[in-house]
Amino acid sequence: MIFLSFRDVECRRNGRIILDHFSFDLHDGETLVLLGRSGSGKTTTLRLILRLLNYDNGEIFFEGRDLRSWNPIALRRRVGYVIQDVGLLPHWTVEQNIALVPKLHGWPEDKTRWRVRELLEQVGLPYEDFAQRMPHHLSGGQRQRIGVARALAGNPALLLFDEPFGALDPLTRLDMQQQFLALREQYRVPAIFVTHDVGEALKLGTRIAVLENGQMEFMASRDEFWNATTPIAQAFLKTLAVTGDVA
Amino acid sequence: MDTLVLKTLARDAGALLLEHIWIVFISAGIATLVGVSVGILGTRRPPVRRYSLAFANVAQTIPSLAMFGFLIPIPLIGGIGKRAAILSLILYALLPILRNTITGITSVDPAVRDSAIAMGMTDWQLLRHVELPLAAPTIFAGIRIALVATIGTTAIAATIGAGGLGVLILRGLASVNTMEILAGALPAAALALAVDGIMALVERRWRIEP
Repeated sequence: MIFLSFRDVECRRNGRIILDHFSFDLHDGETLVLLGRSGSGKTTTLRLILRLLNYDNGEIFFEGRDLRSWNPIALRRRVGYVIQDVGLLPHWTVEQNIALVPKLHGWPEDKTRWRVRELLEQVGLPYEDFAQRMPHHLSGGQRQRIGVARALAGNPALLLFDEPFGALDPLTRLDMQQQFLALREQYRVPAIFVTHDVGEALKLGTRIAVLENGQMEFMASRDEFWNATTPIAQAFLKTLAVTGDVA
Repeated sequence: MDTLVLKTLARDAGALLLEHIWIVFISAGIATLVGVSVGILGTRRPPVRRYSLAFANVAQTIPSLAMFGFLIPIPLIGGIGKRAAILSLILYALLPILRNTITGITSVDPAVRDSAIAMGMTDWQLLRHVELPLAAPTIFAGIRIALVATIGTTAIAATIGAGGLGVLILRGLASVNTMEILAGALPAAALALAVDGIMALVERRWRIEP
């Protein structure tokens, strides 16, 4: 079943085309990786879905409904969003940060606390040790785990990841990628994962789309991606040979 | 100087100090309400930000004695006495509060603001739970500057009959009585230092680690 659909979407900012006749479908349970260089339109795609930006032409359907017919607040509360800078509220404890969306949904306190405890355990941070900590007392990896937990807290229908592990050291990054796969098995929520690392794309994606100058250059399943013939997709695959990264 | 004169001077200074405090807190209180509200609105509406800052900047450039003088002939809001004095004190206190409110809110980490919006906070929730708490130390610093400056300017407001410790200073100047000048100036200085110290303590408690 198609969960999210972009049809010929065009987005301009200050006269510059950011997305150009951009189309794709996201199916239930799949993880679509948007792979591309900086400025290729990956982040814009996520921001359009959240209605943090508006598109000029084309159509986007979210759960079968025109995106523009959604109340932006209700829409955002159905989507979990993880960004590289995490964006934890610095004056709130870890528990308060994770409980943000459940509180916005009006969950009872007991249910919220239980959910926070469950999520902290799932991301490998014991509740007793971490719930009352402030974000500035956490390492980069721990902050990102809290960011993932926060995105999952309100039982989102869709997850968006904007280069979430880009600023982490290689070991923490690997650990977070494993955790991502484990959580995906558990939650089976459709997700869009933005990265410029082809190794990460091949590890985490069920499908991979390559963006270049706001256009879809190539899209294929993980296995088919190895046979990519387009120049940018091939260039990304060549970086694997240089870095020795194997999916 | 005999004891009776000193006692009278002390009694006058006490009463005028209370009046001084009253004028300062009314003026700074209203300036805080106006400055923070307009500042918040200015972060949402760029023209409000532009015009309000320009207005507060201009008000700040007018010498206080001249401002008190300008207000005397204006009906309803001007004239002689506390009303005109409080109005001009509000205008003076406005700039640091307004500017710091705008700076505090616009300086909130964009990643924090973005993620709060993306999680589904309404504009009011964003303001209440994210922007105001994070901007609070900066806004508070503006209020602190405004309060301390108002304590000093209020002394000059005695020239248009506002009362306060300036009465003693003016009286001392007219009669070349150093004791009387000091009876007005020292409590005003002590009040400014005390208020600044208290505000600094509160400000320290509010500091948030990035």
